[in-house]
Amino acid sequence: MRLDVWGVRGSIPAPGPSTNRYGGNTPCLSIIDSKGHLCVIDMGTGVVPLGTAVLQNALPIEDDFGGGKGKATVLLSHGHWDHIQGFPFFAPVFIPGNTLNIYGNARTSDRVEAVLEGQMNPQFSPIYTLKNLGATIKFEGVRERQCFRVSNLEICSMELPHGETSALSFQIKEDGKTLIYASDAGYPAEGAPDAIVEFYRGADVLVHDSTYTPEEQEERRHRGLSSYVDAAAVAIRAEVGKLVLFHYDQDHSDDMVDENVRKCAQELERRGAGQIEVVGAFEGMTLEI
Amino acid sequence: MKVRFWGVRGSFPVPGKQTNRYGGNTSCVEVEVAGHAPIVIDAGTGLRQLGKRLVRNEFRDGNGLVHMLISHTHWDHIQGLPYFSPLYSEGNELQIYARQPGDTHLGAVFAHQNDGPYFPVPLASLKARVQFNELLEGQQFDIGDVKVRCTRLNHPWIAMAYRLDYGGKSVVYCSDTAPFRDILLEHEFIATPPSAAVPLDKQHEIQLRMMREKLVDLCRGVDFLIYDTQFTPEEYEAKPHWGHSTPDDAIAIAREAGAKVLCLFHHAPARTDDQQDAILATYKHLLRDDDLELVCAAEGMVVDLAEVGS
Ligand SMILES: [Zn+2]
Ligand SMILES: [Zn+2]
Ligand SMILES: [Zn+2]
Repeated sequence: MRLDVWGVRGSIPAPGPSTNRYGGNTPCLSIIDSKGHLCVIDMGTGVVPLGTAVLQNALPIEDDFGGGKGKATVLLSHGHWDHIQGFPFFAPVFIPGNTLNIYGNARTSDRVEAVLEGQMNPQFSPIYTLKNLGATIKFEGVRERQCFRVSNLEICSMELPHGETSALSFQIKEDGKTLIYASDAGYPAEGAPDAIVEFYRGADVLVHDSTYTPEEQEERRHRGLSSYVDAAAVAIRAEVGKLVLFHYDQDHSDDMVDENVRKCAQELERRGAGQIEVVGAFEGMTLEI
Repeated sequence: MKVRFWGVRGSFPVPGKQTNRYGGNTSCVEVEVAGHAPIVIDAGTGLRQLGKRLVRNEFRDGNGLVHMLISHTHWDHIQGLPYFSPLYSEGNELQIYARQPGDTHLGAVFAHQNDGPYFPVPLASLKARVQFNELLEGQQFDIGDVKVRCTRLNHPWIAMAYRLDYGGKSVVYCSDTAPFRDILLEHEFIATPPSAAVPLDKQHEIQLRMMREKLVDLCRGVDFLIYDTQFTPEEYEAKPHWGHSTPDDAIAIAREAGAKVLCLFHHAPARTDDQQDAILATYKHLLRDDDLELVCAAEGMVVDLAEVGS
């Protein structure tokens, strides 16, 4: 499978020259499997340039979204604004004939629909309701430890503590390769629960929340997000192949992210896990897994 | 009186190299009057940086008061509010002014943005005091020594334009609006452009003419007119029902009202800095022999109204 990164920023988009290299868009990744199926993970503002790329046929996607014959899968970790705010501007949803299957963090499909419907309310959006989108949108509630298959991808979910709420982590497998998406993870001070470590175990690539520096984490533990040290610690315990830092604080400049990635590599080295490669996710990054 | 731009973009924030100069944050403008509590117009993502500045001063200790005029509650005009730092200190006060939303309370509309599952801190648990002031079209009121007037615009679910007068200087904020000729935009959802073969409903035509007259009246002799110019003429032709104007529409209103400076605002998300430069150059050329001065809003730009028309 191929991973493309479209948005890496947490909380709120952060435009400006100081975020040009890593990017200022809120979370969005895309996975394209060996059959050319498109799977979108979270719909922060990064989903807007993804939509443009899809309609320009700039990606190895089998379906014809421009001609209204596309079927995409969308996995939503949770309903915080930074993970859904790009949806009303994702160009393929305006083309009749396209289908989006949206899997969200809720017990029922109705609840997933209600979260996205609340975003389209006419007080806030000129779209008024999801029913005005041209594409067919289907919803599916996903609970912890649920597994399902789309196209050639095996997908499983796991609940991550996230402040007073939770975010879903997704494990995505194809042909013996595994990617884990773990954004917005606020583990207890003693570290991630064993069940979560087991869920990540042996992944080829772990895309992990690294919002804070350890110093910021000291003051903000209650907010339910990780520091790069939290990310390093869980990557070591789960013996992953590659750690991709993600969901940067909105106030961190490119130079600060560089520094955090460097310190994270040192942390891995210091703990005897120098074999784990660490990179900072940036808009435009592509990985073949 | 000074006008400072914190966000100039329409629809959604657009980070990236192509927006570095004009800025990628959504709508937020500050009106500064010396010795007066800050007045903010719209709360797009630009508001976050303004909040960071405020909490370095009296807002840090919980002694701050800020007034906020909201044109309408579309996301690009309110999405910065949950990230406005002064709201997280006890003692600060935020006075929000916006159009009475009809079938509900203004407070309920704003509360939705902060509720679960969208945001972790509900409006009611913010430390600062937030008060809502519901406005009627045409209402006049004072914010301290600043006189405020408002009138409605032609936009889905209705937006308000504001005029602020202080010490003989004035500014109008007019965003978002379609021109007042092809289609009436209110509460009905309109999916496609009106057919050229079907004439505009007579009643709608009268309403639009009155709306336009009131806007020209609001803008009469204003020093600085900030206007939604999201569209090029070609884009407007394709999307007249989206509720945005072109520079030509803004120039027509500015001329009729005798405005001194017209400021292009609410730039399209897809517009690159270079394209925006070209738009500005084209219209500056058009106005080369005109009394009307043309400028284009950019993040960080500050305009001292004392220097306008003197
Ligand atoms: Zn987030
Ligand atoms: Zn979150
Ligand atoms: Zn707008």
